[in-house]
Amino acid sequence: MKKHILFFPSIFFILILLIFFYLLTIDRDPSKVPSALLNKNFPKFETESLLKEKKFVASKEFKDRIILVNFFASWCNPCRIEHDFIKRFSNNKKIKVIGINYKDNPKKANEWLKKLGNPYSNIALDKNGRIAIDWGVYGIPETFVVNSDGIIKYRHVGPINKKIYKKINKIINEN
Amino acid sequence: MKTKKLIFRKIIVITFFIFISTLFLKNVIAVEPDEILKNEKQEMRARIISKNIRCMVCQNQSIDDSNAPLARDLRLLIRDQIKDGKKDYEIYNFLTDRYGDFILLKPPLKLSTLALWFLPFLFFIIGIFVVFKYSKK
Repeated sequence: MKKHILFFPSIFFILILLIFFYLLTIDRDPSKVPSALLNKNFPKFETESLLKEKKFVASKEFKDRIILVNFFASWCNPCRIEHDFIKRFSNNKKIKVIGINYKDNPKKANEWLKKLGNPYSNIALDKNGRIAIDWGVYGIPETFVVNSDGIIKYRHVGPINKKIYKKINKIINEN
Repeated sequence: MKTKKLIFRKIIVITFFIFISTLFLKNVIAVEPDEILKNEKQEMRARIISKNIRCMVCQNQSIDDSNAPLARDLRLLIRDQIKDGKKDYEIYNFLTDRYGDFILLKPPLKLSTLALWFLPFLFFIIGIFVVFKYSKK
């Protein structure tokens, strides 16, 4: 009788242990939250451009091609780390790389781009961070892939590394 | 012997004051004076909403407690929307449309969260059942 009682709890306990062990070992970061905007239309906005005199109108810029949207700032160190990957993306003729300069000083942003090179075909200024809120951004750098129909296909929070670079390229080729 | 008693008494007094001071800690907030709305009723609403909204940067704090710049931006945004005459549910919808349900500190009751809400009760009932069944003898 007593053995019978102990049998089920021990099985249950081992099962819970296995689940915990599985969650520990898989490659996952609980601080990274999936975007609520996935598979939805990109949030439209109009603002000043860092590179051009003309206004930045998102609905005009996001057209016909796959767009890589990158939120960055000159004060953001991880942005510097991922910059080489963004440059590599700008060599890909299939896509257009758009930067959104988040809460930055335009002068400093220009200097930053001069020093490190400018991979962006156009840059929107988000001075007060309201555009970022519309995109559900909570920690820059953040990168989005928008397909040619204007649908958000992918979002990455944090600097792009080799693994993410490959992943984004795969998504670009699929779309 | 006497000194021992004195030390004991001191410890009790100190712990008492530590306990009392934690009661006041609850009132520490991140809202800055320039954010506060003039209309008290509106400000109250803003405070209640911000208490339910997660700071996405710190994740285990509400934006009402957090000093993160994004938390401040969201507090200001909530107050702007209240001033524009938006209803509470419209503000919550605005935020969840952008950041998902994760921005709510309390997960909403939905089909996908049923297990989260009701499994504890289920386990409680199973527990009672097990205790009664096996403790008879």
